[in-house]
Amino acid sequence: MLVVVVVALLLVTNVATGLAVYYLAPATPAPTVQPLRVIGPWSASEKDKFLPVLNLFKNTTGINYEYITTRQEDLQSLLPNWFAARRAPADLIFMPSSFVKTYGTQGHAADLAGTVSESNYAAGALDPLKDGSKIYGGAYTGKVKPGFWYRQSFFAAHNYQVPTTWTGFEALLRQIETDGSVNNTPIISGDGVGWPLSDVVEHFLATYGGPDMNKQIMAKTLPWTSTSVHDVFANYLVRTLTPGVVCVASCWSAPRQWDTGVAEWWKGDYALYFMGSWITGMVTPNSDIRVMPLPGGVNPSGVVFAADYFFVPTYASRLNDAKRLAAFLGSSAAQQLQVTVGGHIATVTGVPLSAYPAVDARIAANLTGKVILSDLDDTIGGTFQGTFWTQLQALWANPSNLNAVLTNIQAAMPP
Amino acid sequence: MSAKGERAKRSLSSSFQPYLRVIFFVPATVLLIFLVVYPALQTLLLSFYHPPGAFARLDNYGSVLGNRQTIDTSDWSIPYGTLVNNFLWIAIHLPLSLFTGLYLALTLQKVRGASIVKSFIFLGMVTPMIVGGIILRFLFDEKSGIVPRAFGLLGISGLAIQWTAYPETLLFGLIFGSVWLWVGFSLIVYSAGLTTIPRDYFEAAQMDGASAWQTFRKVTWPLLRPTTLTVVTMTILWELKLFDIVFAATNPNGGVGGAADVLALQMFRYAFMAGNFNDAAVVATLLTGLTLLVSTWMFKRIIIGKGKNAGRLERALRRLWARAKPQGSVLKA
Repeated sequence: MLVVVVVALLLVTNVATGLAVYYLAPATPAPTVQPLRVIGPWSASEKDKFLPVLNLFKNTTGINYEYITTRQEDLQSLLPNWFAARRAPADLIFMPSSFVKTYGTQGHAADLAGTVSESNYAAGALDPLKDGSKIYGGAYTGKVKPGFWYRQSFFAAHNYQVPTTWTGFEALLRQIETDGSVNNTPIISGDGVGWPLSDVVEHFLATYGGPDMNKQIMAKTLPWTSTSVHDVFANYLVRTLTPGVVCVASCWSAPRQWDTGVAEWWKGDYALYFMGSWITGMVTPNSDIRVMPLPGGVNPSGVVFAADYFFVPTYASRLNDAKRLAAFLGSSAAQQLQVTVGGHIATVTGVPLSAYPAVDARIAANLTGKVILSDLDDTIGGTFQGTFWTQLQALWANPSNLNAVLTNIQAAMPP
Repeated sequence: MSAKGERAKRSLSSSFQPYLRVIFFVPATVLLIFLVVYPALQTLLLSFYHPPGAFARLDNYGSVLGNRQTIDTSDWSIPYGTLVNNFLWIAIHLPLSLFTGLYLALTLQKVRGASIVKSFIFLGMVTPMIVGGIILRFLFDEKSGIVPRAFGLLGISGLAIQWTAYPETLLFGLIFGSVWLWVGFSLIVYSAGLTTIPRDYFEAAQMDGASAWQTFRKVTWPLLRPTTLTVVTMTILWELKLFDIVFAATNPNGGVGGAADVLALQMFRYAFMAGNFNDAAVVATLLTGLTLLVSTWMFKRIIIGKGKNAGRLERALRRLWARAKPQGSVLKA
């Protein structure tokens, strides 16, 4: 009997609670308009320099926005699940070109052919996003990876000269090490999930193997295990990594978190830092920053230009507004505002050179006569990137393991 | 109430009991079927198919187990592969956590204010492992980390390095480093286990002139056997499903050259980075199989019992049940 009473009581109280909640709970508030959600990789100072562009869009169109910082490495694994559920975490998302094209062709990215104007862009800027007549995204500004950064005042104080040959470069590294002008190794190696090392390798390949080497690797016509690629590694990069060859210890530090590494390098713990041109916006005063490409390479050598690509997911909740933002980001108005703060280079035409800070104008001057290359691992994309990065970390840890590293990288190449 | 009313009540109660059992049993069963059994069977099924849907027999198992990411014993240097790494975690992390926890529990048994010390040690356990991984990364940093700094002060320059940048220091650093995160568990469980041993045993041993070691060897250790089994099982299960600590301390590829890669991370990469759900299902099945092996062993040793302890717990449960059984109940023990 007691059991029956308990069950009956449970039923009655549940029904009563349900009715009470239904009738007594406050009415649902009127739905508010969700802001346009934008996911990008920039945080801290880089984010602060991007938000004025979104503010300009907001002031011009009246469309409110919400900016969310998420690493592209994390989005690589998250977005496919969103897409499988036919949903998207934002209305406009910045991702590498290989990702945009791969998922665009599967129907997850909106076709922006009528939205972004190809004629606005420098020739070929949108090629990595195109599939026939369809364009699955747009290119925002980009960054170059022009060489090793140094402080002009530091070089002047120690009477270091910018080398013009590979032998001179080796001599400079040896001189920095023996002078004891830095507390650590001559070069700091950046790390995050591994990508800064891949930028270094791409620069070595483009300089001493020539731009065609990068292009052929991206086209999968030249394997990593080929003699020519092996020789660039062995005769240049590995020499500087191996203790006792150029430097007594390695010329490079163990890979360190790249952004904290900027501060360490800038205060003089290290002399040289290989990084993208965004570094000019991360140091003060940036009038003291200079860059030197690797000397004595193939002529013309190549330089990597990595554009920041964006796309609008098919499942964007505010598809039309997102397309308006996409068009805006592909305009000279937006990109001119962005380049003025430093560290960015426009991908659209119509941005005058006078809009760039002096330091970026110098970078642009360094590009003259060089072949512009797209970012190698971004272009190949997929799981190759992760393996590439960790294998390069392994090379930094043990340079004598070059053959195994190249074999593993080649094995990770997509078919 | 009259005898007739009492009989009617009993009759109603006894006829209602089977339905009551079903009412309580069904929701849990339905949830288990839909949330555990069905997905597990689907995963198992998926592991036998190629991505387009063609039956693959054991091809996927062959390709995953034959992949150097899983087992790499080509030159017996790090990386060893995910499966070997998981076993290395078990071989090193398990005894270290277990015996450190036991030692601390024994040491702190008669110390005043021990609960405060235990709380501090247990903090590692309540710290999310993802945070633990990030803490380890900082601990091993060449410039700001306490570990390289300590070795530097000791004059061991070979270990005053960026631990996460070299395969050997990365793998073993994570294994050793995570002991402090997990030792709180074995400490607390052993502390609880020690309170269940009657004091008379220790007094009797003392009167018989047993040394501290003999008391531990002949009294404490055997009586802590069920506790040890629990600690061993839970620790092995944790080591098998290890993911967050490695992910946070390194990257989705297990750090430099994949040195610290583990099975769960490999499964994550297959499923969510390569979109290869079939190979991910193979790794998931392997993980489930290994976990089931451990769980079954634990179940047999503790619940069913083997050897001289065979059925001990079962008999104890039956005694408890018999004591709790209401007089005149129709329920059968």
